[in-house]
Amino acid sequence: MVTEEEIEHVSKLMRIDIDDHKEFVEKVHSMINYFDILDSAGVESEEISMPEISISNLRKDEHIPFDGKLIEKLNHYKGTYVRAPKMSS
Amino acid sequence: MTMIGLEIHCQLTNLNSKLFCSCKANYRGFKINENICPICMGLPGSLPRLNQEAVKKATIIAMALNCSTPEKIAFFRKNYFYPDSPKNFQITQLNIYGDTSVGGTGSIMVGDKKIRITRIQLEEDPGRLIYEGSSSKNQITLVDYNRAGTPLVEIVTEPDFETPKEIRDFLNILSDILANLGVADPSLEGAMRADANVSIKGGKKVEIKNIGSFHDLEKAVHFEITRQESLHSREIEIVQETRHWDDRRKITVSSRSKEEDLDYRYFLEGDIPWVKIDPETQKTLSSQMPESISSKKERYVSKYNIPAQVADVLSSDKYYSDLFEESHTELNAKEVANIITTDLMGLVDTREKREASKFTSVHLKELADSIQSGKISKNSSKNALHEILKTGKNLTTIIKELDLGNVSDESELSGIICQVISEESQAVEQTKSNPQTINYLVGKVMQKTKGKADPSLTLDLLKKQIGI
Amino acid sequence: MNLKISALDFIQEVKTGNISAEDFVAKTIERIQNVDDKLHAFLSVNQKAVDQARKIDKKVKSGEKVGDCFGMPISIKDNLCIKDSKTTCASKMLEDFIAPYDATVITKLKRQDAIFVGKVNMDEFAMGLTTEFSAFGPSKNPWNADYVPGGSSGGSAVSVSAFECVASLGSDTGGSVRNPASFCSTVGYKPTYGLISRFGLISYANSIEQIGPLTRTVKDTAFMLNMISGIDPNDSTTIDNKNEDYLSEIDSGIEGKKIGIIQEMIGEGIDPAVLSATKDAISKLESLGAICEEISLDMVKYSVAAYYTITATEAGSNLARYDNLRYGYDFPLEGYEFNSYISKARRNFGPEVTRRLIIGGFVPSTGHAGKYFLKALKVKSKLTKEINNVFKKFDLLISPTVPILPFKLGEKIDDPVSLFLVDINTVTANLTGKPAISIPFANSNGLPIGIQLMANSSQDKLLLQAAHALEKTVNLPEVPI
Ligand SMILES: [Zn+2]
Repeated sequence: MVTEEEIEHVSKLMRIDIDDHKEFVEKVHSMINYFDILDSAGVESEEISMPEISISNLRKDEHIPFDGKLIEKLNHYKGTYVRAPKMSS
Repeated sequence: MTMIGLEIHCQLTNLNSKLFCSCKANYRGFKINENICPICMGLPGSLPRLNQEAVKKATIIAMALNCSTPEKIAFFRKNYFYPDSPKNFQITQLNIYGDTSVGGTGSIMVGDKKIRITRIQLEEDPGRLIYEGSSSKNQITLVDYNRAGTPLVEIVTEPDFETPKEIRDFLNILSDILANLGVADPSLEGAMRADANVSIKGGKKVEIKNIGSFHDLEKAVHFEITRQESLHSREIEIVQETRHWDDRRKITVSSRSKEEDLDYRYFLEGDIPWVKIDPETQKTLSSQMPESISSKKERYVSKYNIPAQVADVLSSDKYYSDLFEESHTELNAKEVANIITTDLMGLVDTREKREASKFTSVHLKELADSIQSGKISKNSSKNALHEILKTGKNLTTIIKELDLGNVSDESELSGIICQVISEESQAVEQTKSNPQTINYLVGKVMQKTKGKADPSLTLDLLKKQIGI
Repeated sequence: MNLKISALDFIQEVKTGNISAEDFVAKTIERIQNVDDKLHAFLSVNQKAVDQARKIDKKVKSGEKVGDCFGMPISIKDNLCIKDSKTTCASKMLEDFIAPYDATVITKLKRQDAIFVGKVNMDEFAMGLTTEFSAFGPSKNPWNADYVPGGSSGGSAVSVSAFECVASLGSDTGGSVRNPASFCSTVGYKPTYGLISRFGLISYANSIEQIGPLTRTVKDTAFMLNMISGIDPNDSTTIDNKNEDYLSEIDSGIEGKKIGIIQEMIGEGIDPAVLSATKDAISKLESLGAICEEISLDMVKYSVAAYYTITATEAGSNLARYDNLRYGYDFPLEGYEFNSYISKARRNFGPEVTRRLIIGGFVPSTGHAGKYFLKALKVKSKLTKEINNVFKKFDLLISPTVPILPFKLGEKIDDPVSLFLVDINTVTANLTGKPAISIPFANSNGLPIGIQLMANSSQDKLLLQAAHALEKTVNLPEVPI
């Protein structure tokens, strides 16, 4: 069973402030509880597989500058810096 | 017992492009946010394009550090929020589904001590934060993403170090190996960084991050050992934590990172399939590896009869060993080694001096050959070397301009010798009973020629004229 | 001017000079202006579309080489990047985001002289299956505007179904192309994973999603695949299809083909009308010479839970970049500390995205990954093994695309778990990487029903042949709009 504290903790981890707490928590709750069905799938011994690529098909090491000044299309500040809020120490 | 482990980050500065995009790997010299593209800025819809050469170079590093190299490597996402990370996750490597990091366990010898390597991983460097503003109240953070996505190799060691001195020796050897492989230039600012974890007997492991240089690393480790020992002696518990090196105060400080910052939620990066590095490719890579430092050293000693100590110095610095390789012949090898280790080293001991100097292997060869053929004396060669570094002119020109050439004209030299014989009749007489006295006479000839007389020719002429 | 023609017919008409691209595109834009107030398929309309069409007409007239699309008006889901135009993902987070580059599929279509009439609506970041989770308001089903059009590519399906374009590109993470195609009575295609480059598709769950066309006919889908499929250096997960021509031999039929009927997809909770349509489709296929047999895929029971676990985890990471620093919406950062700023800025995600991001933080986290995320990956592996075994004996698999009929707007929006079950028949193709298609097949009291066919990896051509054969047996009413 997922607790309200856990959900609150995860919302901090994911950096999203949540309003209308109760309703939100209930919905998330019911969704996660549905996943309990995975416990009965009996897949413990299963191996995880992934697609593969040969090293020779990877990108060649060439410097090709981006066409145009990308920073001008993004938020910039004091010339061409990106600005972030102050960091907590 | 003190146990120290290291995580060394080394940028693959010799690559042309970043790890996942075609921006330049060596970001130095760009204007702020000029070396960026949609991929390294993590713009919506962009996908990583793994650099083939980065995988190869990282594999070569693993081989050089005697690590196992798996046939399939995988990439993972390490999820955390920070402004220097444009995607708010870092693409890195892990061994949670078997050994899928570019390098597995290995080791390097540091003197008689074996330092074990846990793994080697290939990952991306973040951008750079610049803090402005005096107080925390009006502080602002500026971000330059030119570095974001630079290929980085992380070398993780077992906690096999016991003293800061061992760390220093290890890092010196490691830098030399990496430079010798031609994968990185450790002398570039910020190209090599390290974190340390330190624990003393009975205490928990403490990680130290944010160490700017290897010099500071030693200090930080030293400080941390002392801090932990002091806590221990007062029976205060040493807690497992991450501490930051405070560069200004030269101490480590506990980071108040919250629990949620530490849950990285690692999972496989689906945009990069597992990369197959088949045995054939591994074989090719291993055969293309540059000769190792120890093998160079051995060759210098056995083939050219260069003293072990000189060979050691010569082989471990790539700049010097490259110079040696390019300029030596069977005949002049010893002389070349000599010039490098006795004269050149003091003159080009920093990256800046090397870059500023106009010295090439062609100069070195000329110089060594000229010393051997008696064209220039040992003494004068030092002056010539200074001049070459400054001007880059060739040796012949310099000898002429500065009049450094040996007096090797037989008639000119004969005249001077005649003079010496007439002035030093007593010594001339003595040479007949004591052959060593001839050296005194050679010295006198040198005095008269300000050291420029060809020594072997002088000796021959002296002997002939005296008749011994 | 008849807007209700297929893509292939459009091309033929322009090629032969019977119609001009300019007229057709102008009428299409007019159509959008007439019906879209009611349907809300479009988030933005390309003001230059008619000018672009005029240029193509010129090329046709002067005998210059013209791209294979001949000015065909196509709508594009708003999670695909078109250079210098807004790409919002139907989210307030990206309300002002202008893409600085083209997606690979866009580059390919531009080269073939397609015209993008506009960007179409979707569930925010493609999370949903009704298009009700668009931050800019829901789209409506052209068959009955009180009903949802399905999702998340709802705008794509609506625009094709209501003749606001000839074809559309959507994206399919768990059925997001096939589900709205089924609800709006269009063809919807999810290709083999890797057949179409995802470069420029804004990721939701990158390990399983694909771009897919929505069209009026199966042949049109085959044509669209010819335009946009193939290996792409910008997407390392693409596969080399050797420039396969999906249109040639589309009439091959399905005689002798073995088709498995997936039991788990016609079981509990299925609407009787959907079940009877499915049975009808099976008997039609049999009458065309196919051999149909029931088969079982045990893991389908767990597929939806696995799907949501995997997609939430990937979304949690893929959407982490939206911190409003480098791009985003206007929200000053003065006075905030980093974490509090981005936590506030990220409140602009809608409720469904927020829920899935929270789940995406929970299921792979320390202490929970073993119970949820890892198990979900293992279900995915086992399901893939199961289906690969079935494809050793069978050429194709059949099921309804969605087990229920389209439902009313607002009906299920507050019940996320009941919405989960709507995905049960579509997520298998995504989890296993197999190609799947939804074909308009029946109509129950004015509401469309689609049939889904699935094939083995890289058997896209065979799948289209079968779908074309089934499509030919169908005669459906015209959309009442
Ligand atoms: Zn870049």
